[in-house]
Amino acid sequence: MSSEPLLRVRGVHRRFRTGPTVVHALRGVSFDVAAGSMVALVGRSGSGKTTLLNTIGGLDRPDAGTVHVDGTDVTSLDEDGLSRLRREKVSYVFRNFGLIPVLSAAENVAAPLRLARVTPAERERRVELLLELVGLADHARQRPAELSGGQQQRVAIARALAASPRLLIADEPTGQLDAETGLSVMALLRGVVESEGVTALVSTHDPVMMALADRVIRIHDGHLDEEATGQPDESVPDAG
Amino acid sequence: MLRLVSRRARAQWPLLAALIGVVTVGATLLGTCTLLSTRTAERALEVAMARAAPAAVDVTVYTGTVEGRDVLSVAADTRTVVTSALAPFPVTTTARASTALRALPPALAPGTTVGAQAYLSGLDDLPTRAELVTGRWPHDRGDAVVLESTAQLLGLTPGRRVRLGAELTHAPVAAIDVTVVGVVRPLPGRGWDRDPLAAAGSATGHRDGRFRQPVNAYGPFLVDFADLVTTGATVDRMEVTAHPDLSQANRRDLETAAAAVRSADRRLAGTLGDRVRLARVASDLPLTLRSADDQRHVTAAVVLAIAVLGGVLAATALVLAGRLTAGIRADETALRSALGTSRRQLAATATLDAGLVAAVAAALAIPASSALHAGLTHLPPLDGAGLTVRPAIAGAQVLAVAGGALILAAVLTVLSIRPGPEAGDRRTRRELLARSGADLMLAVFAAAAWWQLYAQPTAASPRADAVRVFAPALLLTAGTALALRVVLPALRGADRLAYRARGLALPLAVSEAARRPQAVATGLLVGLACAAGTFGVAFDTTWHQSQRDQAALSVGTDLALTLSTTPVAAEGTAVGTATAGSVSPALDRGTAVGQWLGTAGDAPRLVAVDTTRADALLRGRLDGDRTWTDVGAMLAPPTRVSGLPIPAGAPLVLSGTATGDTSLAVTPQLLLQDATGLRIPCTGPPVPLDGREHRLPECATADGLRLVAVSLPVAADPDAGSVVGDRTAIAVTLTVPPAGSADGSDWTATSAPPVPSKLRDPTVVLSATPAGTALRMAATVDLGGAPDAARNLVATAFPDPGPVPVAVSARFASEVGADSGSQLSVTVGTTPVPIVVTEVVPAVPSAPGAVAVLADLDTLSRARAVTGDLTFPVDAWWVGRPAGPAAAQRATALHLGTVTTREAEAARLTGGPLHAGLPAALRLIVPAAALLLLAGVVLHVTCDLQVRAVEVARLRGLGMSRRGIRAVLLGQHAGVLLPLLAAGAAVGALATRIVAPLLVRSDTGAAPVPAAQPHWPWPAEAALLAALLAGCLLAVAVVVIVQVRRADAAHLRVAP
Repeated sequence: MSSEPLLRVRGVHRRFRTGPTVVHALRGVSFDVAAGSMVALVGRSGSGKTTLLNTIGGLDRPDAGTVHVDGTDVTSLDEDGLSRLRREKVSYVFRNFGLIPVLSAAENVAAPLRLARVTPAERERRVELLLELVGLADHARQRPAELSGGQQQRVAIARALAASPRLLIADEPTGQLDAETGLSVMALLRGVVESEGVTALVSTHDPVMMALADRVIRIHDGHLDEEATGQPDESVPDAG
Repeated sequence: MLRLVSRRARAQWPLLAALIGVVTVGATLLGTCTLLSTRTAERALEVAMARAAPAAVDVTVYTGTVEGRDVLSVAADTRTVVTSALAPFPVTTTARASTALRALPPALAPGTTVGAQAYLSGLDDLPTRAELVTGRWPHDRGDAVVLESTAQLLGLTPGRRVRLGAELTHAPVAAIDVTVVGVVRPLPGRGWDRDPLAAAGSATGHRDGRFRQPVNAYGPFLVDFADLVTTGATVDRMEVTAHPDLSQANRRDLETAAAAVRSADRRLAGTLGDRVRLARVASDLPLTLRSADDQRHVTAAVVLAIAVLGGVLAATALVLAGRLTAGIRADETALRSALGTSRRQLAATATLDAGLVAAVAAALAIPASSALHAGLTHLPPLDGAGLTVRPAIAGAQVLAVAGGALILAAVLTVLSIRPGPEAGDRRTRRELLARSGADLMLAVFAAAAWWQLYAQPTAASPRADAVRVFAPALLLTAGTALALRVVLPALRGADRLAYRARGLALPLAVSEAARRPQAVATGLLVGLACAAGTFGVAFDTTWHQSQRDQAALSVGTDLALTLSTTPVAAEGTAVGTATAGSVSPALDRGTAVGQWLGTAGDAPRLVAVDTTRADALLRGRLDGDRTWTDVGAMLAPPTRVSGLPIPAGAPLVLSGTATGDTSLAVTPQLLLQDATGLRIPCTGPPVPLDGREHRLPECATADGLRLVAVSLPVAADPDAGSVVGDRTAIAVTLTVPPAGSADGSDWTATSAPPVPSKLRDPTVVLSATPAGTALRMAATVDLGGAPDAARNLVATAFPDPGPVPVAVSARFASEVGADSGSQLSVTVGTTPVPIVVTEVVPAVPSAPGAVAVLADLDTLSRARAVTGDLTFPVDAWWVGRPAGPAAAQRATALHLGTVTTREAEAARLTGGPLHAGLPAALRLIVPAAALLLLAGVVLHVTCDLQVRAVEVARLRGLGMSRRGIRAVLLGQHAGVLLPLLAAGAAVGALATRIVAPLLVRSDTGAAPVPAAQPHWPWPAEAALLAALLAGCLLAVAVVVIVQVRRADAAHLRVAP
């Protein structure tokens, strides 16, 4: 690990207006994440986890504060810059897998490589490698609808790793999975963090996931409450 | 339930608006077509009848031989009968009558050996039929005017009193004294052909069937009709013509009048009793009404077919909208089912929902269809046809709209109860089998419909039948369904190719297009709407072209002036000056082929014109690359006839000698030709062959005439006692001034049939003399046998042409069994003319669908002249390429006969009141199809993007820019739309080729002649397709841009 954090979040505020009501989703959130670490972001539903992840990944813009990823000020980027950031440095794993239904597993994994305009030969090699990594080499031609939930999430993880991102953001990656499948996905995530040297920020309710994380960040009503390192937090209720 | 429907309507108002919009468009289309086929059709019938030519609606009563005491009452009763027959229409009657021949004072016609007779004619409207040369019109009792020719012959001038004496064949009646108050000249085309002497003014040797001996007849002495009926003179013939004013006609009154006219004969006979020897009612009114009704049905059949096509389009759009609605409401339906709502309750909600949609749509569609219909009637061609109406609601329209809306609502209900598969689902084997089965059934039905359409008899009923109404929609739907089967494999092929690309946008767009096959309803709507639109445009062109083809063939030329009088020299020049076109005399009449007179009421037709100018004169489509120039070249004579020029008024002198003791005489007949090719026979009195010069009557009445044939029937001089000797050599010289050299190489002498051996060794020689060109003819005459046996020396300025080359119609070839090279004969007048078939053409100009023969008029005349028949029957002037539409007016102003033009006939067939509804309906289906297509595309794209909003957000999460996402989505939809539009256009083109010609019918409902040919107007079709594509892409672009802008992180938060 280098001494410079890969992710630096400072004083981030985000409000949403729904008619006359204003929801303060993030209230001056600040934290750092070191490169190569796996951080679990925990909190109740509506606590601001997804908003924080979207803000870090450039899918959403904060009302105030800054976010730096690998030295890049995300909050100052324009649309093209944000797209480039997501292509080159940040990738997502969605709770609902986020696979493109009409593409096969291999084609889904290849999508970021196509966006990065990797040569076809390199693309095929990388897709094969990644599917091998997530244990789905035999399902390369199957479409998402023909895969189980766990398999789909594995494909999603493979896709997230395809472009060799610096930061992997996973929004409740086991939220749609049963316990056993979720465990395997968590193990896979932990494995790829170590094997690929990627930094992971994972929002979760799962104590096992928290246990696998290098560090746990709690969020409550838009505030960061406290931090812990690899310790399950009994106070966080299960999402289910 | 009502609360649920109400709340859902508020929450999903855009979707609801789309559903109502689609149902409204479909119902409006049905309502408008219903109005076109009912209200407009009825109005068209009334307008057509109001515009009908007087001859087509007039009722004329002909009565014969009315004793003087009954004339007044018969005239009054006849007017009453004919007026009542045409009730309730206002009627204008005109009457004319001619009396029996009455003795003329011998002093008026001295020197004749037979009795001189004259007659009176009474006319209601004399000043409209003649022009006054001198004097005044009759206005007092006993006033009369006479024709110029009568006045000259009898030496009558205004002020002269004439006593018309006894009627020779009737009981003695009082003499009638008339005072000649004026001299008039008959106007051509004003019914003088029905004058007993056809307005000739006199007739020597007249026989009218009552006298054993011929008489010399003079007249008429023209008096006012009201005066005539009080003279007490026996009326030989009387006509009462009633002209109904149909400007305010309605269908029921027309049918009543037609029925009354049909039975008027019986009522007339009952009314007139034995006061008349015969009475007959003649009218084309029932036929005209029936013909108009047939035309109305022909138009209505196509309008109904278009309505059905519009209904199918609307139903397809609704299926799409219904499926999308069901998809969007799937969660709600699932929740309600989970909460215990039964299928019956779900169906009740869906029915209520659909019923409300139908009610609102019907409420909108009724006034919309009225307004649209009224708007259409203010546009060509309906406004030009006089069919403009204000918006109004009709019962049939309300029924059609309500029925259509309910049917569409039923479709919506079914779709709501049985939602389609969700996006992304692969189709089950059962669904695939069901769709295949449906496609197969459609294909089978479509094939059956096409066969039924193809096998329709050529003389099918004009009324709409199921085949003609449903076949186009069935064929287009089946074609589109089958074309969709091709589109998807094509897209899959493109998918494989696109995946070789390095970037993501193109392969993703193509994959989205190729791998989402569940949008069958969208594909069907886009393909069908495009097919319907392109078919509509092409059918419009095909129909118009067919009408123009029919018009061209039925008229046969650009302008036809059908003569009501015998043409005279230089008349063609006047026609040429008036029309500034290429003028030819034309023969167009029935004939006999050998002994065959044709089938009942359908005699073979003989058409003959100057075929050396076939390109300019003949019209009508030929098959293949043949042109009328090619056909004309095979019929035209090799050289033109030069003949001998005769200056106007030149004195022609004939002298002759005979060697025997028998006094012989010839009755010279000359045939003169004017600059337009018209040949005018001129017959002189018998000329004794006594060696002296005899001046012939003035034959050259105009400049530019040429003598082309001379016929000299030789007979013993009736005043010269008995025939002596068997053979006599005759020599006859006809001297034609002016003096000059003469080339006689073209002149030929023949002995005319039927017994040419009675006149041997005919010769003709031309020589120049101081008095002019001498035509010296000689022969040896056999005087044995009957004194009136034919001994006819004929000299012609051309050789015997032999069998006349003719082109025959395909029907002629079929019915007579003739082919190229067949030698037959046709009868012209009483002369059989040998013909040889050189060409079989689809139809002969002016004789569509008839057993007809086309010949060169010059050759035909030559063939007849060499047989001694110098008459030249002409029925019309044909004019090619006249200068502008005013030419017809100028030709009409000549008062030579009826003028018909190809353009006017084409305008009648395409824009006449009884036909205008068809192009109007065709022009309705094109924008309707485009509108439904665009609505369907917008609905589909909107729903698709809403469903895929999360997917779009995820693509952003992958690092794809908004621009890239827009490119993917636009590419995806363009990738689907392009092949669908192409498939639709292909189906439209195929339907145009195989169906459109079968849908085109003639006025009578029979197959058109010539047969309709498909026309695909490339510029119009390209413009339509470009507009459809541009409209679709614009709509897609707008939706995509809006949806992509909305697709942000919020979608990731709320993702299911």
